[in-house]
Amino acid sequence: MGASAVTGTEVAGAEVASAEVRSTEVRSTDAVGGRGEAEAANYAKALVNILSDVDDEQRRQSQSQRAILNILEDLDTEKDRLESTQKALINMLDDLEAERRKVDSTNIELHEVNEAMQSFIATAAHDLRSPLASMVGFSSLLTKNWASLSEEKRLKFVTTIDRQTHKLTWLVNDLLTLSSIEGGALNTQPELVVVAEAIAQCLAAGNRNPAEVSISCSPELVVRVDPMHLSRMIDNYLQNAFKYGEPPVRIEATRLGATVEIRVVDHGPGVPPEFEPKLFAKFARADTPNARDQKGTGLGLSIVRGLAEANKGQASYERGTPRGSCFIVQLPVDERAQS
Amino acid sequence: MKAVLIVEDDPDIQSLIATIFSMDPRFSVAGLAETAEEALALARKTNLEIIVLDDRLAGALTGVEAVPALKEAAPGAKIILFTAHADLRARAVGQPDIDAFLLKTDTGELLPLAQQLTNMLSLL
Repeated sequence: MGASAVTGTEVAGAEVASAEVRSTEVRSTDAVGGRGEAEAANYAKALVNILSDVDDEQRRQSQSQRAILNILEDLDTEKDRLESTQKALINMLDDLEAERRKVDSTNIELHEVNEAMQSFIATAAHDLRSPLASMVGFSSLLTKNWASLSEEKRLKFVTTIDRQTHKLTWLVNDLLTLSSIEGGALNTQPELVVVAEAIAQCLAAGNRNPAEVSISCSPELVVRVDPMHLSRMIDNYLQNAFKYGEPPVRIEATRLGATVEIRVVDHGPGVPPEFEPKLFAKFARADTPNARDQKGTGLGLSIVRGLAEANKGQASYERGTPRGSCFIVQLPVDERAQS
Repeated sequence: MKAVLIVEDDPDIQSLIATIFSMDPRFSVAGLAETAEEALALARKTNLEIIVLDDRLAGALTGVEAVPALKEAAPGAKIILFTAHADLRARAVGQPDIDAFLLKTDTGELLPLAQQLTNMLSLL
């Protein structure tokens, strides 16, 4: 038994035990030797225990280390995942920024379209009201004052009403044509058209004096186009040349690659350079003395461009040298006719 | 008779307005102008009571732009903005020198409006 293991029962019997100790003094030397062995054994056991504890501690530390390593690995993985998420977020932000720029750009375009539409409506309303004002005003004067008006006055008023009625009719027709073009509702019926014949018919229909317009066109030139549209395009260009240009007016048609180019040339003052970009826009009228004197609808060239594009062609303008204007329409040749 | 100046570059409308006023003995057409510049010159040398003014004119100035100068040249005249631009009504309301706004399609209102404005004038 170890020295520290003394119980209450042992204390109570201490005297009996003391007597036993005295009677056995001879054996005490042997007892001392036994205690040393026991203590050594205890020390050894304690040492074993300590070693075992150290071992356990080492295992625990090793486990902790592994756990820490695992945590570090997990953190590394988490870091990679976060980096990847961050990259994805940055890409998303870039995409959102690109989308925002697109939306901004679309908004600007819509704003411009809206402004152009409002301007178009305001101008159309103005140009529709002007002839109506004359018609309403003069017809009202005639109705209220018929008896007191001279024959000459009556004729003058009726002539004005007639002129303004025609003006209004042209404007309404032009607006309807333009509306069909822009709304994609234009009925285009292309067929093979001999250009020289179309030009001649157009001059005849417009009561143009052949002496006023010279023509240079091979009779073999054929285009694929809606004949009504071709006639309208040539006529609009001719009207433009006579209104804003000066004679001599010349129509030239030539083959140019896969197209036939029809040019209407006049020798007037030409279009002011700053006005050229707006030339084919709706209600476009240059602020020149010649243009101010004219009362066209301002839709003629816009209609030409729309009709040309509806027939897979294009309309354009070239400045004359040294002066004058050249209005051009290019139309596709008919491949089957050429082969 | 009350003197009227007509500022209008469309010859048919100009003729219409002149006919309307010339058929009423209370008014006389004192001048016809196609541009704001011509109108200003006439306004300076004529004692006007009514100016019928279009906006879109042949010259450099629009009618609305010429209003302050016209009022200065003819302070006693009442200005009727007579135009086919309906959206100018708002500007006319905000411009104190414009005494009335009339759309060109309402030609029947022109004479009663001029009479009303000149009666107001004579009451002052």
